[in-house]
Amino acid sequence: MTQPMQLPAMLRHPVTWLLPAMLLVAGLLGAGRAGAEPYLAVQTGYKCNVCHVNPTGGGLRNDFGIIYAKTLLPAQTVDGTLDAWTGKVLDMLRIGGDLRADWSRDTAPNSPSSQSFALEQFRVYADLALIPNKLGIYIDEQVAPNGSQNEEAYVRYGSTTDGFYLKGGQFYLPFGWRLQDQTAFVREATGISMSTPDKGVELGYEHQSWSAQFDVTNGASNANSGSGYQVTSQVVYTKPIWRLGLAGSFTQSDAGDRRVGGLFAGLKTGPIGWLAEADLIHDDSFPGGRTLAAGLLEGDWRLHRGHNLKITAEYYDPDRDVRENQQTRWSAVYEYTPIPFLQLRAGYRHYFGIPQNNLQNQQLTFVELHGYF
Amino acid sequence: MTKIFAQPSLPCFAMFAAALFTAACAGNGEGLDVNGQPIVPGGGGSVPLSADFESLQENIFTPICSVCHAGASAPEGLRLDADNSYNLLVGVPSTEVPSLLRVKPGDPADSYIIQKLEGHAAVGGQMPLGGPYLPASTIAFVAQWITNGAPPAAAAGVDSTPFVITSTVPDSVDPVTEPPPQIAVAFNHEIDVSQIDMRSARIERMVPGVAVPTVESIPAQVSVSNINRRVLMIWPSHPLRDGRYRALIRTAAPGFLSDTAGRTVAFGEPNSLGETVVAAFEVEVPP
Repeated sequence: MTQPMQLPAMLRHPVTWLLPAMLLVAGLLGAGRAGAEPYLAVQTGYKCNVCHVNPTGGGLRNDFGIIYAKTLLPAQTVDGTLDAWTGKVLDMLRIGGDLRADWSRDTAPNSPSSQSFALEQFRVYADLALIPNKLGIYIDEQVAPNGSQNEEAYVRYGSTTDGFYLKGGQFYLPFGWRLQDQTAFVREATGISMSTPDKGVELGYEHQSWSAQFDVTNGASNANSGSGYQVTSQVVYTKPIWRLGLAGSFTQSDAGDRRVGGLFAGLKTGPIGWLAEADLIHDDSFPGGRTLAAGLLEGDWRLHRGHNLKITAEYYDPDRDVRENQQTRWSAVYEYTPIPFLQLRAGYRHYFGIPQNNLQNQQLTFVELHGYF
Repeated sequence: MTKIFAQPSLPCFAMFAAALFTAACAGNGEGLDVNGQPIVPGGGGSVPLSADFESLQENIFTPICSVCHAGASAPEGLRLDADNSYNLLVGVPSTEVPSLLRVKPGDPADSYIIQKLEGHAAVGGQMPLGGPYLPASTIAFVAQWITNGAPPAAAAGVDSTPFVITSTVPDSVDPVTEPPPQIAVAFNHEIDVSQIDMRSARIERMVPGVAVPTVESIPAQVSVSNINRRVLMIWPSHPLRDGRYRALIRTAAPGFLSDTAGRTVAFGEPNSLGETVVAAFEVEVPP
């Protein structure tokens, strides 16, 4: 059994070392991006709203999410020092954040390799509970790199734990797995990810094993046209060792209509959480229309507390009418969470595509530091 | 059965990985060009990377950028597929920083695309979002193309598609926090400059009233960008203030709007003055 680690008195208050450490590393390294970790939900059997304020997952953690991050996720707990931190700074106000900085090296055939340190993202969240579990205002702001950029800002009315709720404002759309890696084929091909917030309204429903959302938004491509809309919907049924979800989206746009359908599932087998998603897209904005397909299969093996090995296989067919143009991507990522609110990630991704395209055959190696609270 | 779910082992995990590795394979690319499209007999085939638009489209915009920036899910409405990219890049203000053109011919340092590719833009993340990022040597080709004046592809084919608006800046989705000095309307074809009457546009400001909203008409002038003749600029006669606006141009004779092939714009019914709304936007200056 893991024993709590004792820290010197000066280090027992998180603010005295965690934040400066994060900022120091951010300064030394340089960038990242936000994302959820749905494998944790699969491994634990929880719904997204068990750990996150947002019922569709990602972003600000709730009371249980903070407790999980302090006690169950890391390899070692830090006794006594973080007990006071719950994410709440006032009765009505909860805050949180994620900072990701990395070093990466990219190699493609017939091209010089490149490497760099980068600050991927420093993102802060806030939730103002005007009426507890009834009326709230949620904000997700990316404050670095570069200038501040709003990702989510919405008013939420109703219960996000049991019953109906309504969101209005700017938010991420619910579609499939909210992966940490927004460059996954299933996220890029569908165009719905945690890098593409949209403006509109969402009607959601949470009850026991069921989660459902129905969204009407502008649609990302309609940003300049002033016309068009997007309808997105998702239904998920969650049991302790498995879950199944169905998602669909329709975008009406001057560029051409776009229809997306997706099926995703999770399964827990002992310490391994499995995630799978298959999406089919038909986009009329291409001459004659084009049908695309993307798939993901991921295994997350919790080797030991605080240690996770993630193996991912992905498939992408950018045009179903064209033969021999498919792409695959294979990733191995090791995630080590030594203490609460700090995670180290190291990974390798290998893209396989048609041989005449160098970029479809590149390799990416990265080491990432992730601080969160 | 329960045991399988409770105690999976390393072999189980390895078998999964091995099965995956052999199950789905990438295409061999036979009969395809560098972007995965079938090679058309007599077509040009692969184009080496150089500082001309056709090469940049073939090597960067289509294979990398249009993975996300295409179709009905294109972020910021910026479609970088071969049919749309030039038109939506050159001489068109950025939606994130409207004071900067996405591509400002002759000035790569002040072109928003370079700032986004290099990762020092004022808003948002470096492109391609999440990486891998373009090497400096590749970005240098884009910068050189801009330095050369950002000319279009040399062999532009005959386009038979209808003459339509592809984007406006500002747009109707996001209120702008600074009064825009001009409104840019981008079309998919080059505008017939000889038909343009510089006084054929005006801007309307919706004035909320107690009972019925009224409309304030603001004279405006139009010009076609020398940088990109697919972009029409509308210049209000005085600075705009807070409010909701729409820009109208005359789409019926005299001074009607058409492309160089004589096609008139294919959208909306003109009002009794022969005008059509081409842009709608809101100005919200923070106090």
